[in-house]
Amino acid sequence: MEYFLALTTSGIAVGVLYGMLGMAYAVIYKSTGVVNFAQGEVMMLTAYTAYAIASLWDVGFWTLLISVTIIAIFVGLFIEFVFIRPMLGQEVFSIVMVTIGLAVAIRAIVVMIWDADPIPFPSGLPGDTVSVLGVGMYKSQVYSIIVFLALVFIMWVFLRFSRIGIAMRATANLQTTALLMGINVKRVFAIAWGLSAMISAVAGIFIASVQDLMPDMWFNGLKAFPAVIVGGLDSVFGAALGGIIIGLVENYAEGYIGFNLKEIAGFIVILIVLMIRPYGLFGKEEIERV
Amino acid sequence: MLKVTNAQIVYDNVIEAVRDVSFEVRDSQIVALLGSNGAGKSTVLKAISGVLYPEDGEVQSGAIEFDGHSLLGSAADKIVRSGIVQVPEGRQLFDELTVEENLLMGGYTQPVSVVKQNLEKVYDLFSRVAERRSNIAGYLSGGEQQMVAVGRALMSDPKLLMLDEPSLGLAPQIIEEIFQTIVNLRKERDVSILLVEQNARLALEVSDYAYIMENGRVVMDDEPAKLLENEDVKEFYLGFSDGGTRKNMRDVKHYKRRKRWLS
Repeated sequence: MEYFLALTTSGIAVGVLYGMLGMAYAVIYKSTGVVNFAQGEVMMLTAYTAYAIASLWDVGFWTLLISVTIIAIFVGLFIEFVFIRPMLGQEVFSIVMVTIGLAVAIRAIVVMIWDADPIPFPSGLPGDTVSVLGVGMYKSQVYSIIVFLALVFIMWVFLRFSRIGIAMRATANLQTTALLMGINVKRVFAIAWGLSAMISAVAGIFIASVQDLMPDMWFNGLKAFPAVIVGGLDSVFGAALGGIIIGLVENYAEGYIGFNLKEIAGFIVILIVLMIRPYGLFGKEEIERV
Repeated sequence: MLKVTNAQIVYDNVIEAVRDVSFEVRDSQIVALLGSNGAGKSTVLKAISGVLYPEDGEVQSGAIEFDGHSLLGSAADKIVRSGIVQVPEGRQLFDELTVEENLLMGGYTQPVSVVKQNLEKVYDLFSRVAERRSNIAGYLSGGEQQMVAVGRALMSDPKLLMLDEPSLGLAPQIIEEIFQTIVNLRKERDVSILLVEQNARLALEVSDYAYIMENGRVVMDDEPAKLLENEDVKEFYLGFSDGGTRKNMRDVKHYKRRKRWLS
């Protein structure tokens, strides 16, 4: 039982990180119809940026988190403005190819600036453990779960009540009508990219504090992909929950079956989910899959 | 106030949907734009609203002016801000959003305080919409959806309201109600209205001036009373025929010939 609980708590702790990255994918996909394959790279870039800030000034964890998320919003807006906006009106597939190119470019830039060696990340998070349900958890894991819940709540309020949030859903629903209502659809797209980068920055800081900074930490973006597929590409909250499901499945697979199943368990889940519900657990049926 | 001059609209650079269309909507007028399927009416409305580009359409020549300013090349949201709003064909509600969210999106270009007032105005105008405010729009009946669509357009305080086939797929009683609302809007709020319709009889009843489009061209324009007298209009758009008897094949040929002449 204790073993099960231990797998569960650490599964959730990993899952919330996938969940955050999954939300980041879904925010962009939902409003623009584009799967951003550079999501993991954006996360990595913001994590390294956080490192740069943390090594320059001695800021606490929360200051770091907030300042990096704000920087990340601008990173997202910049990427949208420079790489994605000129592609508007092109086929979605071409835009997806641009994001793949962008992914490779960001990986190269990170290595150019910070080298390929792992760097311990001075997150300012306490390294000690607390006991949750009789199982020891790192405080940083508890923090990540709290931040994840806060993020889900903020996104819910934003999409449900704010004018821009409703406009994002309206644009995702019927783009031409959104134009007819005077919604600036280009701005909605830009906001989606900014928000997505912001969410991935939060994920990036936690991932870096667990794993150290490495130029292959973008791979977490790929590992979060099953989360989005499980939840449904067009459901922000589905993606969040999908992340936790994938995190748990990975941990159980590793703990009870072994053989390094952790790395592929998520993708096996995708295969099964896609066979039963090709649009994901919470996705809309008629969506176009990528 | 709205003036379209010799507009030529082309899709994909080759398909000419509208050729040489000119018409005018004056202040607080109701103008009807009539014509059968594929005449190019909706394309003209899309051109005015600046939403041709998602379908690869383009106004290749001619002018579209509103209050003396050219609308060509303006972004869709600027056009809404300038006071033109469209109720698209088939309502096109955001069917995943609630009724109130739909209305809020109609007021997207307005400051929050104005939105609140306008929301109350719309609820006063359509009490059934008020009852349904927290329902998902996709689950409303056709008539209610049309009311939401009109209400949503009114949220932006338009000077010119363009309605694309508001009678489409609705029961006669509902159509009556919608048209009554349109007439009242002009009377009470001084909104000009451009009404695109296939239902010619209905449109001619409420409008001050009417244009008839065929194959992408305006083929006739006059006051409704005079158009109602016109033999061709009677036959092709109002469904009258001499003596009310059914036609034989020879007359069908004749119809085709006359149609061609008309265009």
